[in-house]
Amino acid sequence: MNRRDFFKLLGFGGAATLTGCSSQAPEGLIPYLVPVEEIIPGQATWYATICRECPAGCGMLVKTLEGRAVKVEGNPDHPVNRGRLCGRGQAALQGLYNPDRIRQPLLKDASGQFKPLSWHDAEGWLAVRLKELRAHRQEIVWLTPHLTGALDQLIDRWLRAFGSQRRLRYEPFAYEAIKAANKLLFGLEAIPTYDLQSSQLIFSFGSDFLDTWISPVMYSREFAAMRTCEAGHMGRFIFIGPRRSLTAANADRWVSVSPGSEGIMAAGMVRVIIAEGIDRGVPKGEIERIKDLVDRYTPHLISQTTGVTPADLEGLARLFAKADPGLALSGGAAESGRYATATVAAVNLLNYVTGNIGRTVRFSPLSSLNRLSSHRDLVALIQAMNDGEISALFLSEVNPVFSLPRSAGFEQALDKVPLVVSCGSFMDETTAKATLVLPTHTPLESWGDDESWEGLYGLMQPAMEPVFGTKPLGDLMLSLAKRSSNSRAAAFTEESFYEVLRNRWRKLHQRVRPETEFETFWSEALQRGGVFQETHPRRISLNLGGLAKAFQGLQALARPDNLTLLLYPSINHFDGRGANRPWLQELPDPLTQLTWDSWLEIHPEDAQRLAISEGDLLKVQSPYDEIELPAHLSAGVRRGTVAAPVGQGHTAYGRYADPHNPNAVGFGEKRRGGNPFALLPFEPEAGSGGLLLSTPVTLTNTGVKYPLASVSGSARQHDRGIAQAISPAQLRPGEPKPNTQHPTPEARQMYPPHEHPVHRWGMAIDLNACTGCSACVVACYAENNIPVVGKEQVAMGREMSWIRIERFEEGPADRPGTRFIPMLCQHCDNAPCEPVCPVYATLHNSEGLNIQVYNRCVGTRYCSNNCPYKVRRFNWFTYPWPEPLHLQLNPDVTVRESGVMEKCTFCVQRITAGKAKAKDEGRPIRDGEIEPACAQTCPTNAIVFGDLKDPTSAVSRLSHNPRRYRVLEHLNTQPAITYLKKIIPANGEVSSLEFRGTGSTHNELNT
Amino acid sequence: MVHNTIDMCGRKGGGVCRTASPFAQPDRHTARLVSTFRIIAIILLPLVIFITIAESGVFRSRNEAPGQPIDFSHKIHAGNYQISCLYCHTNARRSPVAGVPSVQRCMGCHTITAADRPEVRKLKGYWDRQEPIPWIKIFGQPDFVAFSHVAHVRAHVACEECHGPVETMDRVHKAVDLTMDRCLGCHRDRQASIDCVTCHK
Repeated sequence: MNRRDFFKLLGFGGAATLTGCSSQAPEGLIPYLVPVEEIIPGQATWYATICRECPAGCGMLVKTLEGRAVKVEGNPDHPVNRGRLCGRGQAALQGLYNPDRIRQPLLKDASGQFKPLSWHDAEGWLAVRLKELRAHRQEIVWLTPHLTGALDQLIDRWLRAFGSQRRLRYEPFAYEAIKAANKLLFGLEAIPTYDLQSSQLIFSFGSDFLDTWISPVMYSREFAAMRTCEAGHMGRFIFIGPRRSLTAANADRWVSVSPGSEGIMAAGMVRVIIAEGIDRGVPKGEIERIKDLVDRYTPHLISQTTGVTPADLEGLARLFAKADPGLALSGGAAESGRYATATVAAVNLLNYVTGNIGRTVRFSPLSSLNRLSSHRDLVALIQAMNDGEISALFLSEVNPVFSLPRSAGFEQALDKVPLVVSCGSFMDETTAKATLVLPTHTPLESWGDDESWEGLYGLMQPAMEPVFGTKPLGDLMLSLAKRSSNSRAAAFTEESFYEVLRNRWRKLHQRVRPETEFETFWSEALQRGGVFQETHPRRISLNLGGLAKAFQGLQALARPDNLTLLLYPSINHFDGRGANRPWLQELPDPLTQLTWDSWLEIHPEDAQRLAISEGDLLKVQSPYDEIELPAHLSAGVRRGTVAAPVGQGHTAYGRYADPHNPNAVGFGEKRRGGNPFALLPFEPEAGSGGLLLSTPVTLTNTGVKYPLASVSGSARQHDRGIAQAISPAQLRPGEPKPNTQHPTPEARQMYPPHEHPVHRWGMAIDLNACTGCSACVVACYAENNIPVVGKEQVAMGREMSWIRIERFEEGPADRPGTRFIPMLCQHCDNAPCEPVCPVYATLHNSEGLNIQVYNRCVGTRYCSNNCPYKVRRFNWFTYPWPEPLHLQLNPDVTVRESGVMEKCTFCVQRITAGKAKAKDEGRPIRDGEIEPACAQTCPTNAIVFGDLKDPTSAVSRLSHNPRRYRVLEHLNTQPAITYLKKIIPANGEVSSLEFRGTGSTHNELNT
Repeated sequence: MVHNTIDMCGRKGGGVCRTASPFAQPDRHTARLVSTFRIIAIILLPLVIFITIAESGVFRSRNEAPGQPIDFSHKIHAGNYQISCLYCHTNARRSPVAGVPSVQRCMGCHTITAADRPEVRKLKGYWDRQEPIPWIKIFGQPDFVAFSHVAHVRAHVACEECHGPVETMDRVHKAVDLTMDRCLGCHRDRQASIDCVTCHK
């Protein structure tokens, strides 16, 4: 045998070995013992429930296959979110299947270590303690998150049975100032309904209603509806605040004011409106009083404190008075500063003098968030704990050790409580301090109900059997009450929480629909996801005395010598509860485009002054505590202000949130910024008892470079015309439409044109509707089995997301405008990726899809190199799904392995299913019936999918819209995605509410 | 590989959890790969050649008929008694997945019929113990193929065209090669779609 023959044999042998390996081990084929009525293997079963990822209470549908939940979508029947969900809602599945869930009860032994024990022993142990507590009449406290409905009532009832009543509904963001200001001004301690959709003009004083504020999916929908050009009118939006949030980035104008001066801005505007007599419907007697109150907020004073010129302030006030109706919102920093209550009162007054109260601000229905405990209640509880008044503290799904300021001393106070019981699904900073941990079901496994707004009764049902040996909290409480038997506890006659829930709904049934059978009412409610009732309007009037009280002390905060730190809830992790969901860690923050981290946003000029550059690890010191955070330079914060998102910096919350976890994955270097909550002052705001979200800080550069993983290449478009815009004036018929792109050459083809005999799938994305919220990105992860790669890989540009939100800045560097554009495979008719594939693994199909055949792909990556949109993703490794996260995988989509290229398929599995359904029913496919995951979840309906061959389809109509353009069209790629330009009013046009656009063609402008 | 235990019908969608660390250094990874290949190529060469020949079908039949937990005979049921395939594999006409009958369905007949036969007693044993029968899967497609039974039943493709003459087999084996070539041949003959994404997912 010569050398050459040896190698030949070697090659042959190698190939044969692989063949040998590929013959699979015998696979089981396990039948049901008794078939389950609701399940047809291979067919999805959907269950309606309520999303519990934040307190907004959106309706949710859970898709289950063979008894396991694989996808969640919004419930179209639910009035809050109408079929849409945000990214955090989409990631609810990763709570259910989280590998870090607690699987059995844990009891802390003498050495401080948790030891697992059986449910029987755990409940027995606790029942003995409860009996003692009851016998000695000692106080038990329950600390839950925002809860409504049957579970909420059960907890109160349970506490009463044990002779206690202290009960806190704790959310770190509890809108105390809104409630307090409304109480003072209108006598109603409540969070009202804001009607964004009917407003002509919105002034947001720090309210991030597109990020996390109150009900972001609902407000996103309403905001987008307000911004469509329906009837030739597009509402305007001006943001007033120190930081450019996602909401501010969507505004026509961002008026940068120093933190804490929002209130005097609003008061100054009221002064102008009253002085010029342009108020609407304010009784004569009130005018004088109001005038007295706001008289000292002169444009001159405001210009001194905020930098807003008198002329500008007057212009803004006049503009707001002209809006019919307008809407002023207050939130975020404005609602959590030293003068929060006065600020909200000033904004309320602005609404009042312009006649918006009762029109765009309605006190019916009210949000159930008004039942939340205030930060002051928490401080009082800590005091009671320290005084030894509390004998037992029960916690459920709350994490105050993480989300309260460290100076509040909750962690130390916990040591003074003899018995701390934590009922929840996850180990976290607070649960780690508990004596006994009782793992409960996640919301997707539980029965329950939710009343997010008056009249909206949402029903929760388990979408699947429990993943682990956990128990529902309600059942656990009933069982504990019975086991610690005392005469009053014997009043708990219900067998299970399910019975408690049904009993509550029996009462509701009697109230709202007594004419039907209860069982019919119940099953209809289960199918629909709840019962939704209209509420009657409430009449309210202004309380002038309260107004005067609210305005006491309203002034701008003295500007501190050092920087002011402003904290904001992260759109990915909210208050930190989303931090152990790998999708949300990998999802880039829409504005900073950073992943897997927290950071401190600092203005480039401040950074230069302090010799700080991007990625420097900073020591951030407040009067209360200090943490480390990496610096991110951004013109999105005002000079003198620094901002940081909360939610990261966990020390005990699982492998994706805590770099020191023994199973930690995805961090690369084991270091991450601290928890910014720690820096805050613990004293509540005087007026409302709310948590202050800002504090003066000093920064010290540690000299350590911290690697931040950003997915952004350049923030600028460099004349490529990727995210285009148009002004209202240019949209008028006959006006020339600017093209910021390179001229498109005459179409030349080397190959014969593609034929699309039946369908040609296409998409239209309205950049005027897209807010950049990134819900589509998470939906795509869930639908298409996209792996999470970790921070180091992201930093190398190896993230796997098939759709991404690109963020571009336009205009001057110190005050740039922001544009978002969802970027995904364009399914080009003349795709540059196709001719370079040596194995024909990517090709154009007969329906216009650019398809990728995984088993044919050999991983040359030529296609990716040749793609001008950079939307192809290569599997550098076979990425793991730690058990049981793999149970979420969609069986209709291949799980890819290393060495394979992948990209957006337009959710081909949904197209196939839609075609099969139409064929079965013997009808053509209906327009809108097939929706890719991104389009399905988009809160603003910015993404429209359909058949371009059907001239009546929405996507066909939109692709002839005067705002249409296609990205990088000059490359002759002929994309199947049409983008509609964002409408950005030119400078003069912001202050004009006129937009008489395209007249008769205005319908085409609708989305 | 970890198979999903919830997936009742053997679909691979339950997912496969692989252990390779995505966070390993690429160069180390490659080095390990090379050394692995060396071991396979040089030390295991004789074995490899044997497997190659064995795989070529010289020594044994390509299609094995593995022993099942119960010696169920399709020949008796589908052949002698002419029971329609869809009587037991009901889901084939309404779902992508044909599935296997529930133990309850087997017991529907066998509570009385042939209750004394040893294999039927085994069946009763499973039923009495309330245990599902761990059948071994014969027919299947790889993870990157989306096959729908309902679409083929609706198009009047006879079961035996892919599954072979099961009604003549005491112990089922794969008599028909379910390769892409065969799928495409049939799709061409019947003028069904041969678009890649018709079958590849």
